[in-house]
Amino acid sequence: MTTSSVKGNSTMKNDIQKVRNIGISAHIDAGKTTLTERILYYTRRIHAIHDVKGKDGVGATMDFMELEKERGITITSAATYCEWQGHEINIIDTPGHVDFTIEVERSLRVLDGGILVLCSVGGVQSQSITVDQQMARYKVPCIAFINKCDRSGANPARVIDQLKEKLGHNAVAVQIPIGLEADFNGVVDLVSMKAIYFDGDNGEHLRIEPIPQDLLSEAMQRREVLIDAASMFSDELTEAALEGEVTEDLLLQAIRKATLTREMTPVFMGSAYKNKGVQPLLDAVTKLLPCPSDIENQALDTDNDEVPVTLSCDPQKPLVAFAFKLEDGPYGQLTYIRVYQGTLAKGDTIVNVRTGKKVKVGRVVRMHAAQMEDIEVMPSGYIGALFGIDCASGDTFVSPGIGLTMTSMHVPDPVISLAIIPKDHKAEVNISKALARFTKEDPTFKAYVNDQTGDTIISGMGELHLEVYLERMRREYNAEVTTGMPRVAYRETITNRAEFNYTHKKQTGGAGQFARVAGYMEPITEEDFVFESKIVGGAIPTQFIPACEKGFRKCLAKGPKMEFPVTGIKVVINDGSSHPVDSSDMAFQAAARGAFLEGYAKAKPVIHEPIMKVVVETPVEFQGTVMGTLNQRRGMIVGTQDEGHMCVIEAQVPLAEMFGYSTVLRSATQGKAQFTMEFATYRQVPKGVADELIKKAAEEKKNVA
Amino acid sequence: MARIERFEDTDESGTRHKAHISAQAPLRVKPSRHNLAPNSELETRGPKPDPARVIYLKKRNFNMFKKDLILRNPLRLMGHETEDILPKGGFGAVLARAGVGKTAFLVQLAFNSLLRNKNVLHISLDDPVKKVCLWYEEVFRNIAHQYNVKQTDQLWEAILPYRFIMTFKVEGFSVPKLEERLTDLTEQGIFLPHMILIDGLPFDETVRKPLSDLKTLAINHSMHVWFAVRIHRHERPGPDGMPAPLLQVADLFEVAIQLQPVGKEIHVRGLKGGTAPSDHPALLLDPSTMLIKDKG
Repeated sequence: MTTSSVKGNSTMKNDIQKVRNIGISAHIDAGKTTLTERILYYTRRIHAIHDVKGKDGVGATMDFMELEKERGITITSAATYCEWQGHEINIIDTPGHVDFTIEVERSLRVLDGGILVLCSVGGVQSQSITVDQQMARYKVPCIAFINKCDRSGANPARVIDQLKEKLGHNAVAVQIPIGLEADFNGVVDLVSMKAIYFDGDNGEHLRIEPIPQDLLSEAMQRREVLIDAASMFSDELTEAALEGEVTEDLLLQAIRKATLTREMTPVFMGSAYKNKGVQPLLDAVTKLLPCPSDIENQALDTDNDEVPVTLSCDPQKPLVAFAFKLEDGPYGQLTYIRVYQGTLAKGDTIVNVRTGKKVKVGRVVRMHAAQMEDIEVMPSGYIGALFGIDCASGDTFVSPGIGLTMTSMHVPDPVISLAIIPKDHKAEVNISKALARFTKEDPTFKAYVNDQTGDTIISGMGELHLEVYLERMRREYNAEVTTGMPRVAYRETITNRAEFNYTHKKQTGGAGQFARVAGYMEPITEEDFVFESKIVGGAIPTQFIPACEKGFRKCLAKGPKMEFPVTGIKVVINDGSSHPVDSSDMAFQAAARGAFLEGYAKAKPVIHEPIMKVVVETPVEFQGTVMGTLNQRRGMIVGTQDEGHMCVIEAQVPLAEMFGYSTVLRSATQGKAQFTMEFATYRQVPKGVADELIKKAAEEKKNVA
Repeated sequence: MARIERFEDTDESGTRHKAHISAQAPLRVKPSRHNLAPNSELETRGPKPDPARVIYLKKRNFNMFKKDLILRNPLRLMGHETEDILPKGGFGAVLARAGVGKTAFLVQLAFNSLLRNKNVLHISLDDPVKKVCLWYEEVFRNIAHQYNVKQTDQLWEAILPYRFIMTFKVEGFSVPKLEERLTDLTEQGIFLPHMILIDGLPFDETVRKPLSDLKTLAINHSMHVWFAVRIHRHERPGPDGMPAPLLQVADLFEVAIQLQPVGKEIHVRGLKGGTAPSDHPALLLDPSTMLIKDKG
């Protein structure tokens, strides 16, 4: 990665109404990065266009990591800034692959609006559904862009139907295409009722003309639909429509109002690759998507029992800023930050709420992929980056004396792990550097050392997730590693209620130990562990109850059955006894451990494994084959969805069986199918498989010994 | 120590005595419909000289719940005594106007089979897989709520493998295509349906041909098929009260059931098969949950 500093003459306009923080989300290969590239070109942030998988070897500006260039996928979300029609737009390019979902979620957390990019041929694909759910979770208003209208098989009307049916959006076309597939050469804007063509080598010259005669009736009809839909949100528009005097402004206002509340999704179309339809989309970003002050953001008051507090987008108020992404560059740590309230200025002293440490703001920069621009201040509503601040992603920064924290983000537990072994001493040193950085940057990526084997274990959200980090270790840190077989994060739980009554007794000389703990344990589904004391009459003195809980808790990390973490268990103690001299915290902890082992063995323990929701999109002719491959992997096929020449197969498959599936799928379908995978649930391992696991674990233990 | 339940022999009067025995103290349980279900597996086992049969309480609840649900399935409540009222290759229709609850009714029929570990293939020509799943989850949640069931996760997990959802576009659906898909599934041993539900098939003037083909397919595969049939307000029923969409193809159907909104209730009428058609509604559906309402 080359980072060059471009000293900019940054005068930030402080008109919050003209700021847009937007994200571009979509399924893999729908064209997000290409679209972003074109946006940067038309806003004059870059002066040449490079394709994602370009022959010129330069690659698109947003895909700034070498690895991304090579694979043609976006991994980290680079923030970039551009200007359009006097508006300042911050764009976060988000990765499309589900393995990197935490990146998408983090980006959405700081956005005010989004562009949902859909492929006019592929339509609403599985990943679009995931991304859409995430947008809904963070209540991000969005507009849709149907890309690739120049491709054969393009059908924007079908995509709009899918937006309604599959995603439940009130999707309404704001444009109609002029020609389709190879004949696609512009769009009709239904608000201004004008045809827009894109001339010049890179589509930079807009030619506005009257609507072609053959499209006029369709345009009128579609406009009626648009006005009907928008008038639901504006009485003024309804009246104007009845009188036949709908003005552009009135219509846009109504559409904007509905978009901000997520009650309508205006749909735009074009082909980013062919340089068509991008400028009207940028107009829509400025006219329809919200500015930071349109959105209500909340923080939690740490001084007042974490009561939610609504933040005001006032630059004069005390600072509240959120670090949503970290990157380690040659000049130290770069922290991407969004200011929600107040102003962040160079030289300010701010407090990291998590650690309570005061830090001085050194450089404040505005990011443009791997290039940056120094600025003096960053007012509320802006996204930028800080240099040389030590923090973790998800930290909140505030002015001294303020106790507010942004709500913590939902971080899923890792489902897969892999042992890594450095090839030589140099690699060993580099690996530790790399792991320190990656774990700080990505909360779903974890690294630890296995006490028994001494191996370094990395864990994450999927095979590809870990592969990418291994690749980054090699390239960025020159650390060669060999890897073990991927391991699945199994868990243990009990299936029956069982009672225990255990006495810990060591009174054979010296300081004695005595404690008795009795009660029962039972399975629960809602929580990982619940401890309840029903001790009456002081059978166990009150001061020793916490020691009992501690003793039980300590047993959870390594289950007695297979040494997997124990979850879904409730322990109730209802009896016990103590000794006036020999009872102690230690004795009760030991008794609790003994009681746990006693009860656990009787409670029919079982092993649970992570089950993934796997969605395969395949041409119909391979449907049977694909179902066969899933079935062989202990998959349960939930359903198949026929979509003309393509079909979607949804299945639940144990993660342990999914290693190397991409290769299998590729060869089974001549490379024509693709799949996405995400964690669904934990489910009991069938007996045969569990026996295998036990056998394997025993062998490994023997080898270690 | 786990609680055990012991069934004791019947006395001379035929009354069964039943006791829960726990580690702490014996607990008497008043016999009720839930723990003394007629025809239940427990009862059909009959009196035994050795009373000490141990059943874990949890398992007992689970099995009892399953049986209870099977007994309370809409068809049985309508007087259809046998488990499968449709013969192999048989057709059943659930008729109603849009939004009355055809899908929910079909899903209840599906649960009846799923609970008996019989494979159900649900074909939807309207909704995507995700939405069909939601129907099942919703109906299941309502059933669980109505019968106050705690172990829903376990039961849900147990029945899921018996369900397979297929969705088609209405215009893309054809019997040869379905047959092709079925072959994909059966040849690889992935799924062998015992019952098929078809939701969203348009019953227009061209429906006879696909229905006849489906009949052959169903007979060949020893399956029976239930259809959701949409009726329209403006279409007049036949002289025998048979709704218009079924008039021309009624001969292909063994059973027809109509759901009719009357005021705030939904009446379930048997039009054909099972109990004779009558003017009095056999059952009522709760419009909020689409489940059969408890009588009284």
